[in-house]
Amino acid sequence: MTKLIDSAGLRNDGRKLNELRPIKLEVGILKNADGSAYIEMGKNKIIAAVYGPKEVHPRHLVRPDRAIVKCRYHMASFSTDTRKNPAPSRRETEISKIIRQSLEPSLILEDYPRTAIHIWVEVLQSDGGSRCAGVTAASLALADAGINMRDIVASCAAGKVDGKVVLDLDNIEDMEGETDMPVAIMPNIGDVTLFQMDGIMSPAEFKEAFELAITGCQEIYKLQKQALFTKYFGTDQPQVQEGE
Amino acid sequence: MINLSEIKRKYVIPGELIAQGSYGIRGNMLKIGDKIYATRIGMAEVSTDTIRLISLNGSYMPRLDDIVVGKVINFNAFGWQVDIKSWFPAFLPAANVMGRDYSSSRDSLASQLTIGDQLLAAIAGYDRTRDPMLSISGPGLGKIAEGNTIKVSPSKVPRVIGKKGAMINAIESGSGCRLSIGQNGIIVMVGSADSITKATSALNLIESEAHSPGLTQKVHDILSLGDKR
Amino acid sequence: MVAAKRPILESLRRDHIIELLGKGQRVDGRKLTEQRKLTIETNVIEKASGSARVSLGDTEVIAGIKIELGTPFPDTPDKAILIVNAEILPIASPQHEPGPPDEEVIELSRVVDRGIRESEMIDLSKLVIIPGQKVYAVFIDISVINLDGNLIEACSIAAATALATAKMKSHELSPSGEFKQLEDIVPLPTNRLPVSITVAKIGESLLVDPSMDEESVMDARLTLTTDDDGNFCAGQKGEPGGFSIEEVLQVSEHALASGKEVRELMKKVIEGAKEGKETS
Repeated sequence: MTKLIDSAGLRNDGRKLNELRPIKLEVGILKNADGSAYIEMGKNKIIAAVYGPKEVHPRHLVRPDRAIVKCRYHMASFSTDTRKNPAPSRRETEISKIIRQSLEPSLILEDYPRTAIHIWVEVLQSDGGSRCAGVTAASLALADAGINMRDIVASCAAGKVDGKVVLDLDNIEDMEGETDMPVAIMPNIGDVTLFQMDGIMSPAEFKEAFELAITGCQEIYKLQKQALFTKYFGTDQPQVQEGE
Repeated sequence: MINLSEIKRKYVIPGELIAQGSYGIRGNMLKIGDKIYATRIGMAEVSTDTIRLISLNGSYMPRLDDIVVGKVINFNAFGWQVDIKSWFPAFLPAANVMGRDYSSSRDSLASQLTIGDQLLAAIAGYDRTRDPMLSISGPGLGKIAEGNTIKVSPSKVPRVIGKKGAMINAIESGSGCRLSIGQNGIIVMVGSADSITKATSALNLIESEAHSPGLTQKVHDILSLGDKR
Repeated sequence: MVAAKRPILESLRRDHIIELLGKGQRVDGRKLTEQRKLTIETNVIEKASGSARVSLGDTEVIAGIKIELGTPFPDTPDKAILIVNAEILPIASPQHEPGPPDEEVIELSRVVDRGIRESEMIDLSKLVIIPGQKVYAVFIDISVINLDGNLIEACSIAAATALATAKMKSHELSPSGEFKQLEDIVPLPTNRLPVSITVAKIGESLLVDPSMDEESVMDARLTLTTDDDGNFCAGQKGEPGGFSIEEVLQVSEHALASGKEVRELMKKVIEGAKEGKETS
């Protein structure tokens, strides 16, 4: 059993307990998709794409009052340490549902009656926290597609490793740590739209981890905003403009 | 009368608070109490009593009387299904094209318009319960017989037209091409193959750099470069 | 006419393509024998044994190699396992939804497989550990990320480049036949670089590297794979039209010449990867 936190309080990749992995975000990277975004979060490499609003097929799923959302989280066979069978796994099916339900509250679905909005999250390389990275990228892809949204969704996990509460677990920490807690919030509205937990935590640890995850989400939101500004406004700093 | 110097402009993304107070809103925004939030990526213009949000992306949402360019993707005895690059395909009733006394034999429909044909049409009807309805009974509407089409984001259409048509006029005179602009972002270019190529470059430039300053100059440059050959 | 999942091509666009072809020109300004911009990046997926990302015009694909242990097939006890599996991801086009592989994707996987297998790019007999019992299984998984025509070529280049830069752990067999995986990393032994070139036929014109729109107009396509020695090792004709005898020979000459050029680029990228650089 490897020790995941050393005597200096540093983790297996040199991070401090409350430090995020390096994150790279890019919006509008696919030609055909209506909206898209790419994220690297540590070794995670994920593309999210949105198609829609479009017609619903099969027709019996159509809703007269709002859009339906279809979401798939899928891992490439080469994305994990051991090659993954191409057929959808139970884990991917559950995560697809979780991701869909973390993004739906942010979408003003009533503006798009009788339509479907498709969200595809493709994991090219996975290293712990891929569902969070997927939500973060998918939310940008939705904004890039021009879907009416109440807010962006930012996602991050916290957990417990070697008895200490940490932020943004990587794969080793996820496998060998004690608890993993993925979270997503709409940062301006303040609603938590994704919450999962596995492992054992005392009430104090639970509170600490949860609050740490929220802080992580807020950090990530800043990066999401920068990515959108860079793509659409040619600057990553918000500013008030008088001209043009 | 709005004093132009009192308009504050702000880049916004979904979820951001644009302003607080009693404002009328035009465009994609959410009003909660007296707080107004952006629901799209765009430029918000806040004047003394109104806020306008100009979205920088998004697919085309049909509006009554809009002129659009569509492509026939199917037909049945009653009319043609037309892809207008919106959330739903539009429908062009056979009666609109062939008169009320048309006979519903499929051959005569195909001889008017068949799969792959493109047309300039007006949105004749649209509501939340059904697909948009088209009409080609208007001046200049109907099957597009020649030329080629290009798609830009519908949000860029105002930029393609320009102030009082300045941009579209520049592209037409600089390329030698005649343009018809669909509100759904599809643009018809009619002219020689060379002129279509020039117009295509200019339109692609606008699509990719709509937010850049000096875009008008860049478009002029790209069109006059062609002339020097 | 294309039966695969593609949008309906506008008649005006079709006419424009054919009109330009009549003058020996193409919509994007290319010559009939010109390929679109090809970029190749290796080692894009560090967890994979080898990987490559290829963009051919706007078509974009990623191939990843996974090398694992397996039991050989009963009819080839002295050969390692090689499996090629391509997927057109739903992100790649509006016409593609998640689901089991359709005939287009299966043909794509099998044609890429043929080019790699028949060229003997990997000597499968060298990856046997204990004949009849234990062999290496080499998985080549290819994900299409954006679709704009000529998937066979893009996927073949990605698969071959990923293989040529793949690394694996070595192993040793004790005298008693006990298998032990070692920690040191060695290159996957490859000895050849097959290159597939696709030529489309539209009317009387032959054009190289068709875009998606050109594929919607094309009557037929012919893909030929050549190796470093100038031999042909695989071929596939697709779509319902036909090629004349002279045309097939013309395509074969072109596949050889163009294959050489593409191979040079691939070699540059592969050499660069060995020195630690990763992009073309």
